[in-house]
Amino acid sequence: MSDYSSKHADMKGNKIRPSWFRSLADSDKTLGWLFTLPFLILWAWWFLYPFIQSFVRSFQDANFAALDQAKFIGLENYVTILQDKEFFRALLHSLEIVVISIPIQTLLGLLLAILVNQKLKGKGIFRTVFFIPYITSQIAITTVFMMLFKQGTFLTKFFGALGFGNVTWFADTSYALLFVCILFIFQQAGFTMIVYLSGLQEIPKDLYEAGEIDGASKWNKFRYITVPFLKPITFFIVSVSTIAGFQIYDQIAAISRYGALGSPAGATSTVVTYFYQHGIRYMNIGYGSAAVVLFFMIIMLITYLQKKFLDEKE
Amino acid sequence: MLTRTNKGRPFLYIGTIILGLLFALPFLYTIYTSVIPMRHVNTLTSPANWTFENFKIFFTNDAYNVPRWFMNTVIMTGVVVIGNLIINPMAGFALAKLNFKGKGLIYWIVVATMMVPYHMILIPVYVNVAQLGWLNTFWGLTVPFLYQGLYIFMLRQFFISVPNEFLEAARMDGLTKMGAFWRIVYPLARSSLITMSILAFAGTWNSYLVPSTLANTPEMYVLVVGLNSVKDMFFENTPMIMAGVVLSTLPIILFFFLFQRQYIEGISNAGVKG
Repeated sequence: MSDYSSKHADMKGNKIRPSWFRSLADSDKTLGWLFTLPFLILWAWWFLYPFIQSFVRSFQDANFAALDQAKFIGLENYVTILQDKEFFRALLHSLEIVVISIPIQTLLGLLLAILVNQKLKGKGIFRTVFFIPYITSQIAITTVFMMLFKQGTFLTKFFGALGFGNVTWFADTSYALLFVCILFIFQQAGFTMIVYLSGLQEIPKDLYEAGEIDGASKWNKFRYITVPFLKPITFFIVSVSTIAGFQIYDQIAAISRYGALGSPAGATSTVVTYFYQHGIRYMNIGYGSAAVVLFFMIIMLITYLQKKFLDEKE
Repeated sequence: MLTRTNKGRPFLYIGTIILGLLFALPFLYTIYTSVIPMRHVNTLTSPANWTFENFKIFFTNDAYNVPRWFMNTVIMTGVVVIGNLIINPMAGFALAKLNFKGKGLIYWIVVATMMVPYHMILIPVYVNVAQLGWLNTFWGLTVPFLYQGLYIFMLRQFFISVPNEFLEAARMDGLTKMGAFWRIVYPLARSSLITMSILAFAGTWNSYLVPSTLANTPEMYVLVVGLNSVKDMFFENTPMIMAGVVLSTLPIILFFFLFQRQYIEGISNAGVKG
């Protein structure tokens, strides 16, 4: 160690800071708050305040163009929404998307995970191919699918041969919602695959070996080892995907083109497009906020029911 | 036993290949259509007819400004990722390694924030951004998104796993706790920080709901929003739109190939633990 030392540095050459700095940078109490302060400021400004505003506005007659004239109207927004047939139609569409897509994408994701978990040449490439839709912009994917599902393309002809109509899917009121489901499944299956894959890799190998010694068939090993082991993961996937399904927006915005959100003719309207159309496009802040609060309550209810269901199972 | 495990092999391969083709089809269609002239759309044509003209038209069209959209996207994504790289680790470290009054409450805030869908606060955020005069500015597109509850949670999990001996050793060397964080712990968290950056990068680059709400003049479009409007304007020009799809998704796909391992680990960690 050198003899060098001065009043500006200690023996190891570290700068000596004034004592107030040391106490600031070294005490858990001050540093704890100092380090969480940037987060807390942004959070209070851009989360807590808007969160409260959503509730407050939902009881107001408030238009974006004249916010200073907003006035308290009690539950009127809620009453109007709950009398609006369009809202229930939108809610039904949200439920349809979830009920159709979740079973398919969960099973498909499990199948993909099992396939790419085998000793297979080029399984890395397949894994990438299955996963890429999840990380690609949904606007881009929807754009491509719109071109693929235009009337007269090889895909619509193929589906036509299977008994579906040879129509432009996203512009046809009886196919547009199914089209949204296909897009959602295509996006979400890769995510499901990755989560299942990490689950499959955690199953102890000796469980299968023990099964083999007992002469269990492949199916029985799957049925009595793999499936029970993956149960908590399956539950997690279904919860996450259900909430993701309720939040779908990009795909519907893309197929609506210049029409109102949820085009054609409201065939793809959801709770999300309903609140967006009223709150942002029509600038009816109060009414839109009430719709958002209802949306939030639906999500909370689903989360609660799933939790309860899980607790009963265990 | 060997024969039994090998019996299903060909079926396995065929099944995987069929599903692989099904998933790859939209991407192959996109790439193929982006290099053919319009009259050949939805038909197979020989490579002799292939052209890069579509890319040129998409990029240099007078009706809109693609280079500007590209720049907007890079600035928005860059600022958001950098903000997340500073704010989240600081908060995550404080929650993992410092003892202070109110820590429990802050942790609860982080977890609760993670669970609320952004839709819930979109309308008031839009109003606040507008009242600040931040609509169609980079302020509005970045400032509300400089932190993310989920990433604070992920980083906290990592910092908990850092042994306290590292911190004690750093203090023996005369570093303050703050110094120990920036010089010792932060570099140690490199792989967690890379994972977080990748998730933040992809999430921001691909986002549509927020940028289409907070920036709605063509000047301030980001690529995804711009692509959507080009698609609507020139709907019949399939090859040109496909060229646009290729150009706007290429950065994220290249990025994915570079960081595939960390990305997948991040997804499954965020998935399983979150």
